[in-house]
Amino acid sequence: MKALTANRLTDGEVVFWKDGAWVERFADAQLWSDDDAQAVEAEAQGKSQGTTVVDVYLIDLVESEGLWAPLSYRERIRALGPTNHPHHGKQAEGGAVIEALQHASGAARSTGRVNLIKRK
Amino acid sequence: MYQYDTIDKEMLADRSAEFRGQVARRLSGELTEDQFKRLRLMNGLYLQLHAYMLRVAIPYGSLNPTQLRKLAWIGRTYDKGYGHFTTRTNLQFHWIKLKDAPDILDHLASVDMHAIQTSGNCIRNTTTDPYAGATAEEVDDPRVWAEAIRQWSTFHPEFTFLPRKFKIAITAAPKDRTAARVHDIGLVLKRARDGALGFEVIVGGGMGRTPHIGPTIREFLPVNRLLSYLEAILRVYNRHGRRDNIYKARIKILVAALGKDEFARQVEAEWAKIGEAVDLPDTELARIRGAFAPLGFETLPERSEAFETAKASTPAFARFARNNVKPHKKSGYGIVEISLKAIGETPGDATSDQMEVVADLAERFGQGDIRVTHEQNLVLPHVKLDDLPAVWAGLEAAGLATPNINLVSDIIACPGLDYCALANARAIPIAQHIAEKFRDQDRAEQVGELKIKISGCINACGHHHVGHIGILGVDKKGEEFYQLTLGGSGAEDAAVGSMLGPALPYEKVADAVDTLVDVYLRERKDGERFLDTFRRTGVAPFKEAVYADAH
Repeated sequence: MKALTANRLTDGEVVFWKDGAWVERFADAQLWSDDDAQAVEAEAQGKSQGTTVVDVYLIDLVESEGLWAPLSYRERIRALGPTNHPHHGKQAEGGAVIEALQHASGAARSTGRVNLIKRK
Repeated sequence: MYQYDTIDKEMLADRSAEFRGQVARRLSGELTEDQFKRLRLMNGLYLQLHAYMLRVAIPYGSLNPTQLRKLAWIGRTYDKGYGHFTTRTNLQFHWIKLKDAPDILDHLASVDMHAIQTSGNCIRNTTTDPYAGATAEEVDDPRVWAEAIRQWSTFHPEFTFLPRKFKIAITAAPKDRTAARVHDIGLVLKRARDGALGFEVIVGGGMGRTPHIGPTIREFLPVNRLLSYLEAILRVYNRHGRRDNIYKARIKILVAALGKDEFARQVEAEWAKIGEAVDLPDTELARIRGAFAPLGFETLPERSEAFETAKASTPAFARFARNNVKPHKKSGYGIVEISLKAIGETPGDATSDQMEVVADLAERFGQGDIRVTHEQNLVLPHVKLDDLPAVWAGLEAAGLATPNINLVSDIIACPGLDYCALANARAIPIAQHIAEKFRDQDRAEQVGELKIKISGCINACGHHHVGHIGILGVDKKGEEFYQLTLGGSGAEDAAVGSMLGPALPYEKVADAVDTLVDVYLRERKDGERFLDTFRRTGVAPFKEAVYADAH
């Protein structure tokens, strides 16, 4: 599975794509299966929104406690907040998806980000 | 302290207004991200994992209470009530909004502060001895020269687009508290037999991907020729430094490729062409020196009864005095180090409330002088011994009296993967776990001086190469692993650490450090620091103990 992420231009907030708009919670993110062409279309659309977001890329997901979580540790930290301040960032809100992210394990960089790095 | 003049103030106001316009053009779409990124970086504004990060310059680590209170206010108003002091003696805010950045720069400018020279391929904030003007060890006040470099380097048109960033450190004491030998340029002030002052000029040190201890290219540069000589070095670097490969672009690569003698020859040739025109006129030097003239020290006896009584009656204060109070050049005074390494907290972080406490104490007891160290602590350089019990009580109440300066829990750690877009692994929690292992202060004191430095990636912001124990976070297929090095030093006995063995997983690092300390305690001879024991025994006993499980 995949999701589309970026940082919001005005404040740097981590955001996720949902049906043509950007949302702040990973729990609300739109998810696509790996071979779904809509993911790539959404990525292209997101990248065209240069006054709304920056650094748009697809992230790979992994199953955790029956829910989906970003595969790479870096992406889980982005979706949660810093581990040294549990009350900072999105994790402060709590809930099942946050807990699933906190308990997830996976060990690979997201392919979307690797592509992003290569392009620079 | 140096006071900004009208030119400085106008420059900051202009810069802030210019950035406001740039942000507006970015938000309207007139500037693309690629066009804007280099402009925001020139104002210290990075995009990190969770938000923008604003790196505020603290020139040569020197602050007054008004400035520190303003930083506290900005932290409370625009961030989450805290700031993070860095190894370049700057302050980072980690939760900044782009739309707020122009207002923040205005607020900074109102107290003569800014974010200039905190990013980009320019001459960055020059660092110096946090004990400057207070230690009897120094041959001159290095802040005078750091301020001269600030004025010379700020917006220097020739050195705004160097091949890569450029960092200078100055120490005037033989005990190096600036890591001068691992800087692009390290300057060591010395006094010749005839009384003349000069700099030993070290060029081409550095950390990052390819660590180098810088060689000395000139043993004694007369102080009044400093700026022309720096200009000659920068000019050779600007001309020949590599721009084709970011990993080979620092001056250390050029110096290593040419060899120090050839590099020095080219610098001398360039220097001869430049002449004395850019050197600081004596009148200007005197004006700058005047700003750092010794403050109103009282004539006091060497022994303070109040200090001695408090030590005798309060063991916690005595411990603080042992570890955090250093000798001052004036009798009856002390240098107070304020540890930002409370056990279990984030190294280098200070809350806005804590910043205000330090500002108040500096104002009441410390001649209004506050310093930032490259080891991510603060210093009150001029405190009367009589006032130390009151200062300690104030710090203690604010959670700022951790008595661990230079001890095992006084750890440098970069923000790492918890914040930084470049990091491969977290650094902060590793520091927290190690500090927890040595929560017992008796044990920490028994271990003695032990410098642990942690970086979350090879860029080495956490100075891991020069840690007595260095810890480097690496990414093994997306998982956090940590490479340990031993025997590094950033001090006058500078050395790059040697690799201990295969990288360890996150949960094994603190235990491994504990094991390393046990080996040291077993092996050490009288008076040896961890570093001394390692240098005598080599890596073998340490390696054997840490990897015993693997055999």
